[in-house]
Amino acid sequence: MSGLLAGYTTDGFFDEVVDADGAIRPHYRALIDRLRGFTPEELERRERVRDALFRTAGITFTVYGDDAGVERTFPMDLLPRVIPAGEWRHVEAGVIQRVTALNRFLEDLYVGEQAAVRDGVVPRWLVHTASGFRREAFGVAVPHAARCLVSGVDLVRDEDGHYVVLEDNLRNPSGISYVLENRAAMTRVLPRAFSEQRVRPVDHYGPMLLRALQEVSPPSAGEHPTAVVLTPGVFNAAYFEHVFLARQMGIELVEGRDLVVEDHVVHMRTTQGLKRVDVIYRRIDDDFLDPVVFRPDSALGVPGLLSAARAGNVTIANAVGNGVADDKAVYAFVPDLIRFYLGEEPILPNVQTYLLWDDEQRAEVLDRLHELVVKPVAESGGYGMLIGPHATEAEVAAMARQVQDDPRGFIAQEVVGLSRHPTLVGDHLGGRHVDLRPFAITGETVEVVPGGLTRVALRKGSLVVNSSQGGGSKDTWVLEEEVDRC
Amino acid sequence: MLARLAENLFWAGRYTERAEDTARMVDVTYHTQLESPYGEVALAWQQLLDVLHLRSAYGAPIEPVNVMRFLVLDPDNPGSVTASIARARENARSVRELISSEMWEAVNRLHLVLGDRDLEAELTEQPYELFRVVRRLSMTIYGVASETMPRDEGWRFMALGRLLERAEMTCRLIDVRYAQLEAMSGPSQRLAGDTAEVARGPDRTDFHHWIAVLKSASAFEAYRRRYRASMDPADVVEFLLLERDLPRSVLYCLDGARHQLDALRDGRPSRAARQLGRTTASLEFRDVGELFDVGLQPFLEDVQEQIAVTAEQIADEFFHHQPGGALHAIATG
Repeated sequence: MSGLLAGYTTDGFFDEVVDADGAIRPHYRALIDRLRGFTPEELERRERVRDALFRTAGITFTVYGDDAGVERTFPMDLLPRVIPAGEWRHVEAGVIQRVTALNRFLEDLYVGEQAAVRDGVVPRWLVHTASGFRREAFGVAVPHAARCLVSGVDLVRDEDGHYVVLEDNLRNPSGISYVLENRAAMTRVLPRAFSEQRVRPVDHYGPMLLRALQEVSPPSAGEHPTAVVLTPGVFNAAYFEHVFLARQMGIELVEGRDLVVEDHVVHMRTTQGLKRVDVIYRRIDDDFLDPVVFRPDSALGVPGLLSAARAGNVTIANAVGNGVADDKAVYAFVPDLIRFYLGEEPILPNVQTYLLWDDEQRAEVLDRLHELVVKPVAESGGYGMLIGPHATEAEVAAMARQVQDDPRGFIAQEVVGLSRHPTLVGDHLGGRHVDLRPFAITGETVEVVPGGLTRVALRKGSLVVNSSQGGGSKDTWVLEEEVDRC
Repeated sequence: MLARLAENLFWAGRYTERAEDTARMVDVTYHTQLESPYGEVALAWQQLLDVLHLRSAYGAPIEPVNVMRFLVLDPDNPGSVTASIARARENARSVRELISSEMWEAVNRLHLVLGDRDLEAELTEQPYELFRVVRRLSMTIYGVASETMPRDEGWRFMALGRLLERAEMTCRLIDVRYAQLEAMSGPSQRLAGDTAEVARGPDRTDFHHWIAVLKSASAFEAYRRRYRASMDPADVVEFLLLERDLPRSVLYCLDGARHQLDALRDGRPSRAARQLGRTTASLEFRDVGELFDVGLQPFLEDVQEQIAVTAEQIADEFFHHQPGGALHAIATG
C-alpha cells in the first residue's frame, strides 16, 4: 500500500476501510484515491482550515470533573466514515425497530396496562428500582406514544463487522449538532470528495425535529403549535447544542425562569406578555424539570410543568421517565421487548450482558473482571466505567467491591473488539476504534437521520469514544443507493 | 421576544452608559480639584459619592485616591467603572444571538483593554489617559452597534436603557457640580434668584469648573457656538438640561427614550410611556430662571426619581409578567 496508507496495519481488528486481505473496501475507493493525491503539507493545510472553521463557530463542549468548566472543541478527523447504502438499510431498520419497541414499552408502562411487566418479560422489581423510573409520569400520555422523540442508539461493530447495540440513550441524547457541523465543515475542507460520490444530506434535521415536535403537540394546541427548546442555561455542557437546535428550528431557546404555569397551561414571558407554549423540547433532566414534583431545590425547572402535561395542555419531549428504558440492566431485556411488543426478531443484537444480582452470573463476572467491561447502570458519557483488560489490579479490586455492595447498580459486558477506522495521527494514518450513534426522531412515525455521529477514541488502543473522555468524531457519509450498486 | 432577553439588552445599555458616565464624572471631579485646597477636595469627592448614592456603600473616611479607586476599579462596588463594564459584558454575552458580532467584540474589547492595564498605577499617577480610553471605547460600542444592528425590538430596549441611564447621569453631573459650587461659595443665593449677578462676573474658579462640566458632557464646543464667550452657570445648566439637540442633555435623552418606548408599546396603553411623557413635558417648557427659584437640586432629584419610576414601570410592563392565577401563587408562596 502506498502513500497515505503505507505501513497501515489492521492488527486483527475489523477495519472499516481496509479488508482482511489489505485491499481498500469498494465504498472507500473513491475517497482514498482522492486523498492519496494529497501531500502531507496539503493535508496539514486542510486541517488548519478545519480548525479555523470550528474555532470561529465556537463549537465546544464543557468538561465536568478535573478541568471542570473548561471549554474544548470536539476534534473532527479529516477522514470521513463511509457507510454503503445496503449496510445503512440494515442499521436503519434495526434502529427503527428498537426505538419503536422502546416507545411501546414506555407508553404501556406509564399509561397502559404494563403488559411486559405483567407477563414477566421484564421483572417488575427491576423496573421499579431503575433510577430513571418516575412514578410521577404515570397517566401522562404522549400523542402518538412518541415518548422517545429523540433517541440515540449507540452501535459498535464487532470483530466480524456485525453491528451490535451498546446502549440506548432515551433521555437527552446529545451530539446531533456535531453531525451537522461536521458535515458543514467537511463540505468546505474536502469539497471535491463529495462530488465524486452521492452522500446523503443531514441538514434537514432541524425541520425534521420541528415537525415531530409539532406532531406531538396536544390536540388543544390547534393549527400552529408553539414549540420551544428548554435549556438549563449557559453553564450546561451541551449549551452550544441547545442554541444550535433552537436556531435550526427558528424557535425560542428558553430557561425555566422564562416559563410560568397558570391553570395547568404553560406560558413563556415575552415582552408582549404571556404567550402559550404547547410543546417543550427540554434538555433538562427529569429531576430538575419541575420542583413541585421532583427536586424542590431546582431553580432550573418550572413549577407546575408536570401537572400541565398531565392535563394534556403541553407535551414534554422527551417524555418524563424514559430513563427506565435506557437503564443498562433493563437494556439487557430490550431484545425480549422487541419480540414481545412487535412479534419480530431483533435486527440488531445486544452485546452479551451479565446481570449482577443473579448469584451465578455475578460469581462468573467477579472471576473474569479483568477481561470484561463493567458499567454503572444509570450513567452516561462513559463516567464510572471499568474496562477490565486496561485496568490496574487496584481498579479491578475497587470495582469488585462496588459490584458486591450494589449488584443492581452495575452490569458487565464482554469486551467488544470495536471496529477501527484509519484516522489522521500526526502525518500518517493510524487505526482507531470507532462507534456510531444514529439519531432517531419519533413523531407520528420513527425516522433516522442518515449516518449519525461517529466517535473516535483518539488515544491509541483506547476503547472509550465519549467526548468527555478524550474522543473525537468523524463526519459520517451514508451513500445513495445507485452508487452502492455500481 | 423573550422578556428575559429584552431585560438583558436593556441592562447592557444601562451598564455601558453607567461605566462611561461614571468615568466622566470622576474625570471632571479629579481635574477640577487639582488646584483646590485640601478640605474642598475631600468635600468634592464626598459630594460625588452623594449624587451617585454610593456614600454609604463607600463607608470609609474620604481620601481622594481611595474614593477614586472605589468608583473606578472596586469590583465590590456595583457602580464602579470596571464592575459596570463587566456587567454590561455579562448581559451582552447572554444575548449574543441578538446583538451584532461587531457590537459584542466592541464590548468585549473594552473589558479586555481595562484588564490589560495597570489601573491602580494609572489612577494614582495620571488618570487622564484611562478616562479617555473608557470614553472612547464606550462610544465605539454605540457607534458600532448603531451601524450594524437592525432597529428591531432588541435594539430599542438597549437604546432605551442607555438613554434613561444617560438622562439620570447628566442630572447627577449637574447636581454634583452645583453642590460643589454652593459649598465653596456659601449659601446658594449666588445662583438661586439673582441670575443677573452671576452673569455679571463669575470668578475664575467658577469659570473653569463650568468649562470642565461642559467638557465632561462633550458639550463644550457646542456651548461655545451657542453662547459664545459667556460662561453663565444658568446657561450651562439650561444647556445640559434642556437643549433639545445636544446628545447628552437630559431632555434629548428623555425625548429619545420616549420615541423608543412608543415604538415598543406599539399602540398599547403604557403607564411607563405616560410617566415618561409627563417627565419630558415638565422639562420641555421649563424656564431655567424659574428652576433656580424653586431650587435646582430638588428639581434634579425629582427628575431622577421619575426616571427611576419609569424604569420600574418598564420592567413591570415588559420584563416581569406575572400570571394572576392561583397555581402561581401556590408555587411561589
